[in-house]
Amino acid sequence: MVQKSGTKQLMREIKRHRSVYVLLAVPFVYYIIFKYIPIFNGQIAFKDYMALDGVLGSSWIGFEHFRTFINSYYFVELLRNTLMYSFGKLVFSLPLAIILAIAIYESNRPHLRKIVQTLAYLPHFLSWVIMYGILLALLAPGDGILNDIIKMFGGKPIDFLTNTDAFPWIVILSDAWKEMGWSAIIFIAALMGIDPSLFEAALVEGANSWQRVRYITLPSIRPVILIVVLLRLGTILDAGFNQIFMLYSTPVLSVADIIDTWVYRQGLLEFQFGLATAVGLFKGVIGMFLILGSNRLVKRFGGNPLF
Amino acid sequence: MEQKIKKPKGRFTSVAVRPTAADHSFNLVVDIFLMGLLVIIAVPLWSTITLSFRPNDYIGNNLQGMFLAPWQWSNAAYKALLGNAGFVLAFGNSVKILIGGVVTALLLTIPLAYVLSIHTLPGRRYLNLLIIIPYVFNVGMIPSYLLVTNLGLIDKLAAVFLPGAISTYNCLIMRSFFEGIPNELKESARIDGATEIQVLMLVILPLSKAIIMTIGLFYGVSFWNDFFHAMLYLNNNQLQPLPILLRNILMASGMNEYVEVNAFGDAPIAAIKAASVFMSAIPMVIAYPFIQKYFTKGTLLGSVKG
Repeated sequence: MVQKSGTKQLMREIKRHRSVYVLLAVPFVYYIIFKYIPIFNGQIAFKDYMALDGVLGSSWIGFEHFRTFINSYYFVELLRNTLMYSFGKLVFSLPLAIILAIAIYESNRPHLRKIVQTLAYLPHFLSWVIMYGILLALLAPGDGILNDIIKMFGGKPIDFLTNTDAFPWIVILSDAWKEMGWSAIIFIAALMGIDPSLFEAALVEGANSWQRVRYITLPSIRPVILIVVLLRLGTILDAGFNQIFMLYSTPVLSVADIIDTWVYRQGLLEFQFGLATAVGLFKGVIGMFLILGSNRLVKRFGGNPLF
Repeated sequence: MEQKIKKPKGRFTSVAVRPTAADHSFNLVVDIFLMGLLVIIAVPLWSTITLSFRPNDYIGNNLQGMFLAPWQWSNAAYKALLGNAGFVLAFGNSVKILIGGVVTALLLTIPLAYVLSIHTLPGRRYLNLLIIIPYVFNVGMIPSYLLVTNLGLIDKLAAVFLPGAISTYNCLIMRSFFEGIPNELKESARIDGATEIQVLMLVILPLSKAIIMTIGLFYGVSFWNDFFHAMLYLNNNQLQPLPILLRNILMASGMNEYVEVNAFGDAPIAAIKAASVFMSAIPMVIAYPFIQKYFTKGTLLGSVKG
């Protein structure tokens, strides 16, 4: 009896919301096609994919591709480079973003603050193709500004983009240059939320500006910093495909190649669809655990994860 | 009497305390940091801009070129670009992708975000799961490539924006915004007999200008800047958008035949490169100040709510 009325009520609820399902129809179909068919296609990681046979028609070969990848000499290199860039960017640009946010918040000069803020957000909207153009004007061995300066002091010009020592720094620093301002937004917002009476109390107690930052500002935004770090750790295997793809070249391949660029070359240039998909899936599964884990931690620390 | 501070920014003047030497040194460090940063951000941008206006007969290096007086600048590179049929075509393709992409993306994302924000909807949990699974579990680029190929989207401009037409992240930000709209407004419309479509159109959308502008900007940036999908799916030269052409121009040198360098007249090739960089960035640079006031408001609602 209860069961029946429950079903009835559900039917009534569904009927009441019928116009919602109309709104939902197209996005729903979109999701099935563009988000779920690729997951379905992921099965070719376990298959000897032949274009003629298609995804379903190709024959199963089990974990063959995964074994090939893990036993190959580039496995360690790809993983090392990927983690090097992810952690490098995190360690370098996150403190910079926090310092920038505090400086913008603390500055007594409204004009300077405004100009820095506006200009610092801007590079986030430039693509890596555009960034490549800007970096060329800066770093080119023949006529880049940086090499003009080196030559001015009598040094030898360096081809930064094909030098294996310089390349990782170029990647990390150019990412910091591009994203620092944008990453600072969330910290600026957190700073705006600090209760001003805390600062007044500190002033009355005789704290100077340094002590104010040390004992009030930083502790106040610590939860936000923690959450940002956790969320970044969740995507630690994404080292920035577009950036590396645009900047790298054969001479620096050993320090530049990350999982994603390798998947691209192997899959779409060499047509090793099965192997490339297996590596993508390998990354996807680890990435999934990392995101779920970091999301759970964010929740535990009182943050508000997206899902 | 307690004095109230309206804006807790920078100085805290409500309590009269004489600034100490430490305070002065702090302010100095902050200002030096900001000014240093300003230079670091501005120099690469400025060097590209000045390079694009470089006259053909200029003999100094790029460092000196940054200090060239504006009345000595030459617009030869821009003239050459705008007079080049290939560049105009690529710019047009990019505009088509931008408009088609943003319209499609918003038409798909807004209804989905709204439906996800309705708490009474039966099956809402499963719907959430449906959205989250592909977001968390990313199978990589090859399976998507197979899909787009099988759909017959090769050499269609839509191939550039369809795969990214719903960004789960954008959708979830929009959902949290919609959830923040007071329920009474929606309920009163529903009691008056409005359908959900009417509630969305007449109640929600008029209140959501900020978030729609913000998310629209995010989508616009991603489609305008897209290089990867265009490279994969557009083989026809007539369809190539600006980022593809820009990369070919940037890679062009004496040995490289990607682009007919001579097609750009007698402007210096370095200036042509810099000018195409600037032209590619300009729509974003123009749109950005108009939307800047919206995006801080809009994104923050999504990211640091609660």
